[in-house]
Amino acid sequence: MEESLLRIKEVAKHFGGLWAVNRISLDVARGSITALVGPNGSGKTTLFNIVCGLHKPDEGCVYFNGERIDHLSPHRVYAKGIVHAFQIPRLFSRLTVLDNMLVAARGHKGDSLLNSLVFKQGWQEQEWKLATKALELLNLLELDHLGLSPAGELSGGQRKLLEIGRALMAAPVLLLLDEPAAGVNPNLGRKIFEKIELFRRSGLSFFVIEHRLELLFDFADRVYVMDKGKIVVQGKPEEVAKDSTFYKVYLGD
Amino acid sequence: MGLLINFLDIIVFIGIFAIVALSLNLEYGFTGLGNFGKVAFFLVGAYTYAVLMERTEIPFYVALVMAMLTSAGIGLLVSLPALRLREDYLAIVTLAIGEILRLIVKTEDWLAHGVWGITVPSAIHWSGISVLETRLVNVGLVYFCLIVCFTFMELLTKSPYGRILRAIREDEVAAEALGKDRVKYKAQVLMLGSALAGLGGGLYAQYMRFIEPYMFMPMVTFTVWIIVIVGGSANNWGMLLGATLVKLFERGALVIKDYFHLPIDPINLQYILFGVFVIFLLAYRPQGLLKERQIKTKAVEVVQRWRNRCSE
Repeated sequence: MEESLLRIKEVAKHFGGLWAVNRISLDVARGSITALVGPNGSGKTTLFNIVCGLHKPDEGCVYFNGERIDHLSPHRVYAKGIVHAFQIPRLFSRLTVLDNMLVAARGHKGDSLLNSLVFKQGWQEQEWKLATKALELLNLLELDHLGLSPAGELSGGQRKLLEIGRALMAAPVLLLLDEPAAGVNPNLGRKIFEKIELFRRSGLSFFVIEHRLELLFDFADRVYVMDKGKIVVQGKPEEVAKDSTFYKVYLGD
Repeated sequence: MGLLINFLDIIVFIGIFAIVALSLNLEYGFTGLGNFGKVAFFLVGAYTYAVLMERTEIPFYVALVMAMLTSAGIGLLVSLPALRLREDYLAIVTLAIGEILRLIVKTEDWLAHGVWGITVPSAIHWSGISVLETRLVNVGLVYFCLIVCFTFMELLTKSPYGRILRAIREDEVAAEALGKDRVKYKAQVLMLGSALAGLGGGLYAQYMRFIEPYMFMPMVTFTVWIIVIVGGSANNWGMLLGATLVKLFERGALVIKDYFHLPIDPINLQYILFGVFVIFLLAYRPQGLLKERQIKTKAVEVVQRWRNRCSE
């Protein structure tokens, strides 16, 4: 068994009377692409929000690198190395594509009030380096020609790509991707997963929600199937593909 | 001669309100904080300055700095509970704080003579100084402060720090998920904004030489909001333009009233005309007269070079 990077232990969360997440335990291995699938409303996004600190779990714990993180606020979870790309892109619409990327950068000296005023020389140099890095990522996502356009002018698919690019810019250890291939054309969806595979080889770990099963079976290392707040099936993609419960909850008999 | 003195009066008002508008622009224009209690911090600055000048022997610039610090302190105090609220509630809370502070100075006589008002000794004074000279001194003082504030705002809002403020304005949840502590940034912004409003208040007290609670009605807040909306939020130059237009109109009506006899009171007419103007502006140019500009750091050069290389 590979080393576990993210460990979710007996986590539960309810909204009113509904248990959106009902005592779930799972592991994301270091350097893996772990997938979470399940019908709409099965609690996948809620689980992601718990991991990245937007929701506090009612029960259970979340460990990252052996450290408990479920009581931390989102910016502290980011500091630990977990970055979340939202299902519906939450871009800074009136900021340029470049600025969207630069906001996400980690450890920018100019982010503090004093430094931004007094230490201009220092952060200008850093801006240069970060912008070069941002452009390399944008080039990979085929958005480099749009660097100075406002993010609000992008098309739906481009927004999705920028959301992922911004998360990559944050130099994460673990990246949570909520339906990265949804709403983009089939070719681009596969391309996104090929990029994910590329980053995985360089040491990143991914925890992905995705409905495009053929992509999951090609790229994921481990698949968890969720239904009504519980994990019903788990295993390697080829094992899950043979499981009858999986077909029942996901494809309906 | 009288006209020149009136003109200088308008110039001073433009300067003071440009400073206060810059502070609201930082809060609302760049960070998206709907502060409807701007007058509270203007009041704190004015009263701190007035009380210090009346009761102590400290030089006026120390009193001005104290006005800024007191205002910033109260800004921070207000921000602690208020920043955890949603945007519309922040507006209600700040609006209420403005009224509370005004009622405190009105009823607590020991503080600043309540409704009787407080007389402020002149900051710069020599024997035989004429009205014109006094006005000129004030123009110099106010515009020196304005230039400092303006430069400060330009540096701040065009830095990576300003970029984060804009990001928080656009989507605070996303900014937080990308590692930016929104409560910290918002508290800093409210502190800085309050300090600037306090400076404006101090300058106002120093220029008026007499302040009373009646001068700090919620209308002051709305005037500053009109300046920000007309000038163009998230554009510092827009604040100068907005303050010029609004104050020229407002103080100009007073001057017109002195010199001409019109069938309608120009002060009332001024309110009506301005209301109509703001409605039209919001309908046809909601971003204000001057648009927000992109942040230009070295990062932009990198992109431009990249583009040129690609197009070759």
